[in-house]
Order: sequence, then structure tokens, then C-alpha cells
Amino acid sequence: MTATSKYLSGAHEAHDSHHEEDPKQYLMYDPKPRGEMNAMVMESMHTTSWKFWVVLGVLAFLVVTCFFFAWGYMIDEGLYVGGVMRPAYWGVFLVNTVFWIGISHAGTFISAILRVFKAEFRRPFTRAAELMTTFGLIQAGASIFMHMGRVWLSYWMFPIPNARQLWPNFHSPLMWDLLAISTYVLGSTMYLFLPLIPDLAMARDRSTGWRKTFYKILALGFRGTEGEWRHLTVAMNFFAFAIIPVMFSVHTIVSWDFAMAMRPGWSSSVFGPYFVLGALHSGMGAVAMVLFVMRATMKHMDYFIRKEHFDALGKLMLMVTFAYTYFFFNDYIVQWYGGDKATDNLLHWLEEGPMAWMFIQFVFFNIVIPPLLLWSKKVRETPWLLALIGLMINVGMYWERYLIIPVMLTINRMPFTWKLFQPRIEVFLTIGTFSMFLLFYMIVSRLIPLIPVWEVQEGQMTHSLRKVGKAKLPTISEFE
Amino acid sequence: MSQKISRRDFLKLATAGAATTAVLTGCGPASRYVTRQPYTKMPEYTYNGLSTYYATTCRECAAGCGLIVRTMQGRAIKVEGNPANPINLGKTCARGQATLHGLYNPDRVEFPVKQARGAALATTAMTWDETFQIVSDALSKTNASEVAFLLGTASDHLFDLVTDLTKAVGAPAPIRFGALSMFESRATLSKAVENLLGEAGLPFFDLAGADLVVSFGSNFLETWLSPVAYTRGFSKMRRGNTQKRGYFIQFESQMSQTAAKADEWIPLLPGTEGLVALALGRLVAEAKGGAAPRAFASVNIEEVSAKSGVSLEQLEHIAGLIAQAQTPLAIPGGQALGQSNGLSTAEAVLAFNALVDNYGKPGGVLMSPLSPNEDAYHRPASAKEMADFIATMKSGGVKTLFIHGVNPLFELPKSLGFVEAFASVPTVISFATFPDETALASDYIFPDHQGLEAWGYQRSATGAMQSVLSGAQPVVSPMHDTRSTADVLIEAARLAGGKFAEALPFTDEVAFIRSKIANLIGRADGSFVAPEINTFASYFQQNGGWWSAAGDSGSLSPAGALGKSIAIEEAEFAGDGEFFFVPFVSPTLGEAGANKPWLQELPDPMTTVMWNSWVAINPETAHHLGVENDDVVKIISEAGEVEVAVYEYPAIHPEVVAMPFGQGHTAYGRFATSKLPQDRFMDLVPYGGLIGDATKRGANPADVLGAHFNKAGDLAFAGMKVKIEKTGRKQYLSRLESRIGVYGEGFPEEK
Amino acid sequence: MTVDLNLVGAKGAIAEAAQGKWGMTIDQDICTGCQACVAACAMENNLAFVGEEDAGYGRTQHWIRIERFWDGEYPHVQATPFQPMLCQQCGHAPCEPVCPVFATPHSPAEDLNLQVYNRCVGTRYCANNCPYQVRSFNWRDYHTVPELGNMVNGTLVFPLHNQLNPDVTVRRRGVMEKCTFCIQRIHKAQDKAKSEGREVEDGEFTTACAQACPASAITFGRVDHPESLVSQLAHQERGVKHLEELNTLPRVTYLKEG
Repeated sequence: MTATSKYLSGAHEAHDSHHEEDPKQYLMYDPKPRGEMNAMVMESMHTTSWKFWVVLGVLAFLVVTCFFFAWGYMIDEGLYVGGVMRPAYWGVFLVNTVFWIGISHAGTFISAILRVFKAEFRRPFTRAAELMTTFGLIQAGASIFMHMGRVWLSYWMFPIPNARQLWPNFHSPLMWDLLAISTYVLGSTMYLFLPLIPDLAMARDRSTGWRKTFYKILALGFRGTEGEWRHLTVAMNFFAFAIIPVMFSVHTIVSWDFAMAMRPGWSSSVFGPYFVLGALHSGMGAVAMVLFVMRATMKHMDYFIRKEHFDALGKLMLMVTFAYTYFFFNDYIVQWYGGDKATDNLLHWLEEGPMAWMFIQFVFFNIVIPPLLLWSKKVRETPWLLALIGLMINVGMYWERYLIIPVMLTINRMPFTWKLFQPRIEVFLTIGTFSMFLLFYMIVSRLIPLIPVWEVQEGQMTHSLRKVGKAKLPTISEFE
Repeated sequence: MSQKISRRDFLKLATAGAATTAVLTGCGPASRYVTRQPYTKMPEYTYNGLSTYYATTCRECAAGCGLIVRTMQGRAIKVEGNPANPINLGKTCARGQATLHGLYNPDRVEFPVKQARGAALATTAMTWDETFQIVSDALSKTNASEVAFLLGTASDHLFDLVTDLTKAVGAPAPIRFGALSMFESRATLSKAVENLLGEAGLPFFDLAGADLVVSFGSNFLETWLSPVAYTRGFSKMRRGNTQKRGYFIQFESQMSQTAAKADEWIPLLPGTEGLVALALGRLVAEAKGGAAPRAFASVNIEEVSAKSGVSLEQLEHIAGLIAQAQTPLAIPGGQALGQSNGLSTAEAVLAFNALVDNYGKPGGVLMSPLSPNEDAYHRPASAKEMADFIATMKSGGVKTLFIHGVNPLFELPKSLGFVEAFASVPTVISFATFPDETALASDYIFPDHQGLEAWGYQRSATGAMQSVLSGAQPVVSPMHDTRSTADVLIEAARLAGGKFAEALPFTDEVAFIRSKIANLIGRADGSFVAPEINTFASYFQQNGGWWSAAGDSGSLSPAGALGKSIAIEEAEFAGDGEFFFVPFVSPTLGEAGANKPWLQELPDPMTTVMWNSWVAINPETAHHLGVENDDVVKIISEAGEVEVAVYEYPAIHPEVVAMPFGQGHTAYGRFATSKLPQDRFMDLVPYGGLIGDATKRGANPADVLGAHFNKAGDLAFAGMKVKIEKTGRKQYLSRLESRIGVYGEGFPEEK
Repeated sequence: MTVDLNLVGAKGAIAEAAQGKWGMTIDQDICTGCQACVAACAMENNLAFVGEEDAGYGRTQHWIRIERFWDGEYPHVQATPFQPMLCQQCGHAPCEPVCPVFATPHSPAEDLNLQVYNRCVGTRYCANNCPYQVRSFNWRDYHTVPELGNMVNGTLVFPLHNQLNPDVTVRRRGVMEKCTFCIQRIHKAQDKAKSEGREVEDGEFTTACAQACPASAITFGRVDHPESLVSQLAHQERGVKHLEELNTLPRVTYLKEG
């Protein structure tokens, strides 16, 4: 928090002074020598305090108990320890799945789309966002398997050749889902790994002991020759373009799990883009939170992550909010206008039933509040405030998924069966997945450079301040 | 029965025929006792993968429905109805289906024990030789007049055996009782018939032929007398005639499952059913033109309307419907008879049938024929007779009490004082199959077989216009070290020697049963003919009994009924509470279904409550009382109090509360008593957390019933007034239905 | 009728074959709600009971349930006709395409929705997609939980298991189940008829629920044979099918009052 307050006061000064905007406040025009920057990143990886270990320990404990033990217990006992029942056959596990896939979206979006469009502000935090994709997908995958009644037979969902020629059913949206998610996992992991290679090589050259071995293996012998760079750049470009349609398709397909079903509230043709936007919405919020935490807890990060980045992110969030709002109204209003009796019941249930509080929070957190705050540059440039908005959006988006799955499942075409879902062991398992996500982040923050140093350096090389007369003009040269 | 055979009937008969040919399997005469063998040593007639079917008789109530039990490798797998049996024609009720859960119940008395009264079931087994001696001593060393037998309503062969025994030794005749017979008010029906027709008996209401049925509180679709037969009659009434759909009107203070099937359910105040019957009689007589007969002439219609709460328009509308109907039929029953004026109500309703002249005609009132080996109609003891018996017990008139097939500690109202009287009997020997309350309070339990392991026969008191004797045979070898009570008595009598041995000169139970069916050999009017006993007994087993081929409606002359004046006295209600208390037998549990888990899991047809008791209160009333669904309330009568959860029931008179009978056991196995222990791990957010008395499942309405009788001696079970107090506790009732979808809870008003 | 309903493009063919093979009529006018069918089904098909808490929470294993609603206010309140609800064996079943492992395929031979227990991995998508909400999931091994009454004198025995029907699989935890139209009885009758060199006759056998029903409200048979009892009943004027607008082609016809 100290960093924050310092930054805040700095922001005030900047506004109060009549001085022309100082270009040095932008990372790209505030270059440091390569060696120094490398040392900063290395140091941030090496620095731990007792607080770090305490938090790590707590998270590890939570992962062991709330994730592994609770899951094992559930596998041993059966799903009755959860809250799923008729009619809410799907519960919090799939809420978590959709939520984590949503989180994982922002990583690729920021990294790939912004890379393709050459948005310069992405440079310092692509890595953090990409990690979010990978770790989010791990949790999403785990949640799918938690959801299954007989998880030990989950391999039957994969097209493994077998003597009885039993194949998975490619008509099933779940099958599409499985394929889309596994493609996404593979693609995004590759896409995370490729830009990591030069940084790993950098770390390899600056470490000793087990770290050296570790980086040596991972760096795949990268030496930084021109040929290597050329191959790497081609591969990265290739993946950056390829991952974008995969990313859009994944969440569209996740939405089809619902939209293809014959249920009031689910059977909606707008679910695809609605879900994609929802995913971006929560993902952007999550990036804001991650950046804030990184900046507040890790050494030297206030150099790499600046208010310009928060500002840019805030603008992106604002844009996504508007798009999301459009789809929200599109979905609900069209459904309401349809006048189907079952859907009508469902909408009444959402708006006035016992879970109405959740619906209202969801609307306020995702649609009403973010645009009211994010238009202000002051808010956007205040990291803790942006992180708070990110948190709010994520809570709201979690509620949205919760409403779509167990709460909407309450209402079907057989009013005799309507019952309200109540989570039980799901509470623990949700804590478990969140803990695991954070734990992975914490461990990785000390193992690999969270800042893509070479990208920052590359950016700083292309950006320069040219003296034209007395004024210094920021200029960008085409790199390729 | 109808004269024409419709296509549908033909198909049914064809099915029945096909099924019967497949069924002709029975234990041959040589295989009286089958021992339970491991799969490796199966009886030779059992083939792997092939089922064997045995015909037997259901013992879940006294109706005597024929069953065919599918067995496989010595296990009873499935109960099916015996299509040949005239009572049920191949159909069964839920209780009949679940009889297998009685057979394989984990809580049975597995061997004879000496029981410490009131303690948990003893765990040290006695040998059967010891028990023979004990029974023999109890029989022979007690003064014959101080020996008493208390039997249930099934099975009849044991009743006959005990009757023979007691007759021969000069002991009092056995007393039969059951909660169902108490709530059915059989004595009232029989007495009313006697008063009107001059001959006691059980009337049979031929719903199948009626085109309009007016029921006064009768719950004939639930547990009343012979529910499967009456349900069939109802179904025929509604849909049997392709030209006209039968119309059904029910007068009842709460909507029972039967009333739910009525085209018009008309709530009225308890105790005014007789008045309404008279008023309808007068209106119908007037509508048909002509003066009302004497029985109906004196009734004041406005007064009836005011007292009962049934509007004049409604009465006239219904009278109009009846006047137009071709074969109208009125049925008394249920809570209408369980009133202090129940007898006159029954008389009024029977007189109404005389008015519409349907006696002895299809679609009218018939007299149930006696069973083939029955001399007269033996009805179970009325509550008044039980009270007399209790008085005898209290005064020391009973030294040795034998109990079989009945659980009076649970079933009788506490106010009758059975518990105390029971305690004063020096020796009590129970032949219970299950460790119920009465068995655990006895000195000895010499367990009888469960119905599917046992021999026997059951006389069908009513249900068909054929004379029916349903036969029972073991379909599996006994699960546990149990003995047939008949065999125990025969053996004990042999040991006792003298007149005891002379009274029961049989080698075993089967020989006794054969002696009792021997009179049917050679009768040509029956379902089969056999020249001698061995063949006859085999056929008897294979067919699941013997019944006369054709119905005999007899000639009934209720002419006197209309000439006699009927006065319906004001119903008296005991207690000073503000609510009329109406107990009714749970349609799914019956009197003894609480220990069968699948019966517990069946939702009540009207409330869909599973595994528990409830008190049905009109939502308006509940609102005034300040209670809501799942609130535990205390129901206080002059006789006692009981705690039970509220169900806001929309179809009940605001001044009436209704409660099912069947739950609230303190013994009778795990399913009937305690909450099943559930895994509570990680129960962070409890759903419907079960709060309340953890040692008891549900509540027993018999605890609040007072000792009041109607003129026929039946319990005035619906003649109580109760107070309701809040307890502030909750007991979440498990319902199958959705409170959101059915009652709109948590839902906006718009519907 | 040799349409492979598991193929893409079978939709039109299904609509043509809408009548199906096996079907049922339920006469709501005479159904008394007595639960005999529920008990009979439980006994025939080895359904597990789940105990008070789970039952109240919506985890009952009933393959057939009887629904009852209310109409009007006291004193003019009426219970709506009892409505037994069971798997409608849809000709165009929403549950079928969504299963990722083909655990709920369509039987081309019997034109029924099958549930293959040992293929089921428990995604519960089929149950979600069932507009009739008639599928029940085995949330735990209800047949073998000690708490459900199998502990006798301190040892774990399963006396109630003696009753289990050997023709029907006992489902373990994590699999979906539903009404099968007593397919074991269908097969038995067909095998018997085949061994005797004839066709299965109408009324030769029936499902457990129809067999028990004291009011004979349930009729089962071949709906593709116009002379069978069930076809004749199903074509009465008062026959309706539930949620027909979803084009599920249900095989159960409800006969309304009146």
C-alpha cells in the first residue's frame, strides 16, 4: 500500500502542475540500461519476505484441504455431499468452470489481440495476463472433472481407440466444449511459453545452482542469435493470430452448453457473444487486480507497471462494459419479449424470487457502476480503485454465472419440481480452486520473470524522445 | 357385475388367463417346509435365471388381495397381483408392493426371546423347544377363563385355530383388532345394516355400476375396507361406461385423497354428514315428485344448511344431480362414522340408498357374501369392546395374554389405558414378527413368520360379490429362526395334553388349514373342482385360494328403512379446543407400513410429505394462529398432546385440523422410529435441517384421542376438539412437491 | 422403422415415425394418486430409497412421480387431476444428443430412450435437458450406505438386497437413471414369443406400474399397432401429450378429465 499512496500523491502533483506532460512517466520513454533492467527483474524474483511464505503456506494448506481432500472426499462419497439435486443438476462446479474460463480470456485477449494491433501499453503485463489464462484454465478443467459423477471414467470422453469402437458423441455440446478447452489449453500454453524463452535465457545467464539448471532446461538453448529471434518472432506471430479465433470460439462453445439446451433462459441465440463479452469483462477485472497486487507486493514493479497501464486497462474495461451491457439487454429483453410462459416465470423468479438480491448485485456491479466510475481518468489511474472495480466486476460476473446455472435451473417446465439450489461442499471446493490459482501465481512469480523484459526493452528501443528545437517529441520507429 | 363384457374387460380377462397359466406353480404337498439354502444347494425346482411364481395372499391389511410373488433362486423379488383373485383382479396397492420390505426388513425379531418389558429387543435366543413348553404351560396352567388372545385382522386361519382352541378349553373367544378396523368403523357399518335390514354384515357399495356417487367422508380410495377393489369400482364408475362418465361428489371436512378425485368436494363441519344425507334425501324425494318418506320428512333443510355450512344452492344442485342420475349411490365412511352420531349418520346414508332404490341392484348397495368357510360375519372388535377388554385386564381378569398381529400399544388411543392394563397382566406372550411397541413390552416374543413365509388363508370380508377364500403359502423359506404361531400353538397344545391336544389334533399348521378347507371339496360352483384333499389343497395353493364362480347379490329388502324415523343427534365433541381434530389413516403407510422404507419414501398423495407426520391446517387459520409451514405446533386435547409440524393445506375447513395416522412409533425398527443418521460432514449450509425430537419419526394422533364412542361402540375418533399452541421450533417436512411451483412461495403474486 | 436416430439428419425421419413402437396411456380421470405405481416401479427396478433429508431436497429416485396442483381458493379449491410423470420415451428426445459418451442413446429396435448405466460418466446434461424432469441421479451409493439401514446388530448386512431384481442393474453412485418402460419385461416377452415362433401379443405383458395400478389408469403396449388397446386409448379425443410444442414426440399420452 505504501507504493500506492506514493503513487497517488505523485498523480496529484502531476495534475496540479502546469508543466507539460512529462513523457518520462511513460515506461517506453523512460528506458533503463538492459543490464539494470534484467537485474531488477531477477531481484524481484529472488526477493521474498516472511509474509510471502506465510501467505504461501496458508494457500498451500487451503489447496490441500479444500481442493484435494474435499475433492477426494467427494469422489469417495458421491456427489451427495454437494448441493446438486433435481432440478439443479448443475451447480457451483460449472459456475466455477465458466468463471475460470472467463478469467482466462483476458490473458489471451490482452496478449494476442493487443500484440496483433501493436498496442504498446500491453508490453509489461502480457506475461501476467497469459499466466492467468493458463492457471484459470487449470481451475476450469478441474471444476469440470469435479462436476462429473464418475470422474474416474472421464477418459471416456476422449476419442481413444478401443476394442468396442465406442466413440464420444460429437453431437454433444459438452464434447465440443472439451475439445475447445483442450485446444485452448494447448494453444495458450504454447503462446505463454514462446515469449518466455528469451526471458528464461536471460534468467539462465544470471543464475546459479538449481535455478540455472531449471532455466537451462526451459530456455531450450536460446542464445539470442538473429536466426533464433527470427524463428521466435514468426512463431509468436503465428500463435498470436491463431489463438484469437480459438479464444472466441472457446467461450462461445462454453455458452453453447447452455444455449443448445432446451431450457427457458438458456435457449438463447445471443449467448455466444454474450458469454465472450462476459468473459472479457471478468478477465479485464482480474487483470486489474493482478496488476495491482503485483505492483504492491513485488519489488521494482512500480517501474514496469505505471498509471498509464492502469489507465489503458481502465479504458479497455469501459469499452468492454458497454459491449457487455448491450448483450445483457439484448439477452434479457429479447427473452422477455418472447413471452414464453416458462421464460416469463424464470424472469420473474430472477427479479423477484429469493435470489433477486444476487440479480440486483449482478446488474449493479457489472452494468451500472463500472461505467459511472471508469469514465474518470482519475479513477482509472488509481490502481487500488481500479482493482476494486475489477473485484466488483468479478463478483458480479460470478453471480451472473451462478444465476445462469443453479438459479435458472430452478425454473423449468415442470413446476412440480422447482427447488432452490444450496451449495454445500462446493463452498470448500470453490475456495480450493481460488487458492490454487493464487498459489500458482505466487510460486510462479518467484520462478519466472513476470515482466517480459525483452518486450519492454524492444518497446523502449523503438520509442525515443527526439529533440526538435527545445521540445522533446516522443517518436516511434517501425521495428519490423 | 356387469352383464356385458366390454372389449376392455375381455382383454383384461385374456391377460388374466395368460398370466394364470404361467403361474400354476405351488409348493407341492411334499414340500411343506422349504429350508433356506445357499445358492449352491438350491431346491431342485429352481433353475438359474428362471423365476418361480407363487400365489399367496397379502397380509398388509385384512382385505385379502391375492398376490403372485415372483421368486428367483429362493428370493422373493416382486409382488404382483393375482389376476384370478376376484378381490383385486391382478392389482395391488402400494402397501402390497412393499410387503417385500417387511420380509427383508433389517429389523425383525429373528429368534424367540425372553424380553424384559419395555427394554430393547433381547439378544439371547431361546430354543423353540423351550418356547413350546412356555406356551404350553401358559395355556394349561392358567385358569382357562383368564387366558386371552388378542389377534390382528390377518390372518384368518390363526383366528379359526385359536377360536377352536378357546372353544374347546372354555377360554374367552379371541379378540381381533386393528387400527384400520378402528378407523373404518366396521361395527357402525355392520350395526347400521342390522338396524335397517335386520341382518348384520358388511355392505358392499357397487361403485362400478353407479353413475353418480355421493360419499359422506368415506375414504374408499385410500385404506377403507378393500381399497384395491373400491378403486377398481371407482375406475369403472368413471370410465367403465363409454356413454356416460360417472359423477362423484364427496362431503368431507378436509380434502382426502378420495375427495381429491371427486368432481365436487364440498367441505362441511364434522358431524353434520348425516344431516346433509337426510336433507338430500328430502330434496331428492321432492324433486322426483311425491312426499318424502318418513325417514326424511322431518328434516329442516335451512337448519341443515346452517349447521353444516353447505349452502342451500349447493344442496339443491346436488339433489338435482341425484334426481337425474340413473343409479345414484351414497357411501358413508371415514370421519363421518367416527363421530358420536356416527351410527345415525350411517343409517341416514343407508336409508338414502333405500330412497333411490338401489339395494341389491348393480350400482347399488349389496351385501358382501360370506366367505366359503365362514358361518357368520365376524367383525373385529370395536373400540368399545377393546375398552371392555382393557377393563377386564385391569381388574386382573387376564393372567396370560397372547398377542399376534396387532400393535395396540401404538394403535389404541392412550386414553383407553391399554398401557397400564397391559402392565398389569402377569404373562404376555407376543408372536410379533417385528419388534413393535407391544412386542417389546411383552414377556416373550416368539416370532411368527412374515406373511410371505407363512401358510394361511384370509376370508375376504368385502370387495367382490363372490365368496372368496384367499390362500397363503410360503413363497420363500423363512429368513430367520421364526415359527408359525399356529404350529407353536399346535405343538404347545400337544405338550399340554388333554383337552388342549384334543382341540388341536393336527400334525401341523398345514393339516389344520386342510381341515378347514375340506368342506369345499366337491363344490361345483367354485373356481376349481378337486375330488380329494391332496389335489384340492394343491389347487388351492396354486390358484391362491378358492372362490365361488358367480356373484350372488342376494335379496335385500330395505323397505322398512324408509318408514322409520331417523333422528340425527347433535354430534358431541370432547374437549374445549377451537379446532375439530380429524385423524385419518395415512394412505401410503396404512396401519403398519412405517417400518418399510419404500413406503416411507412414498409421498403422501395429497401433501407429498415423505418420512414424517404433519398436521393439515387451512392457510387462513394458520395465518390467524401465527404459524406457517414447518412450524412445530402442539396439539392439545383433553386426552393428551402431540407435537407435529404444520402443513398449510388449502383444502380443509378452517375450523378443522387433520393429521395422518401411521407415524410416531417409539419402536418398530429403524425406519419407523429414529431419523436415519445422516452424514453431517461439511454440512455448512444445511438444507431443511431436521430439527425436533431426534428419537421419534413423526407423531401419533392416537395420543390425543379420547375414549369416546358412538352408539355402535366404534371410536369417535373425529369427535375431538383441540387447541393448538406454537412451540417456536421448526421441523422441515420433506416434500416431493415444489413449494415454489405448487404454492408460489418466493414467487411474485402474478400467476 | 429402421431409422438410426443417432445419426445427424434423423430428425425428419423421426417426425415421420412419430408414433413410435411402445407407448403408454395414463388416464388422469381415474388415476387416484395412490402411489401403487411408484412402489411397484421401485420394487421392479431396484430403485433406492434415499432417506428423509435427501428426499426433501429433491433427490428422490422415483422413476415415476405423481404430480398434484391446486386450482382455486377455499372452499372452491380443487386438486388438479393426479398426473403421473415418468420418462416419456420421446421419439425426438432432448436428452439423447447432449450426452458426450452415448450413455443415453436411442434404441432403434424398441424405439425407446436407453440409459446405459455403465457407460454413464455423470455429466447430468441429459437430466438438465429433459423438459419433463424425470431423470434421477445417483448422488451416492444409496443401496449400500450403512445409514440407510443395513447395519444389523453391529454388522453390515444387506437384508433388503435379497429383494433386488436380478434382471435390473443396481446403479452405483454417479450415474443417471430413468424409467425404461420395464425394458427387461419387454425383452423377456419378446424372447418368449420368439421361442414360440410368434409375435408378442397385446396385453401379454405390461410394465410394473401398469400391472399394479388398481384403477387400471395406466395402459402399456404397441402404439404402432392400431388395434392394440393402448393405441385406441391414445387416439381418444381426450388424449394429450405433454409439452408437445417442444417437438419431443412423447410416447406417453395423458387422457384428460371429461
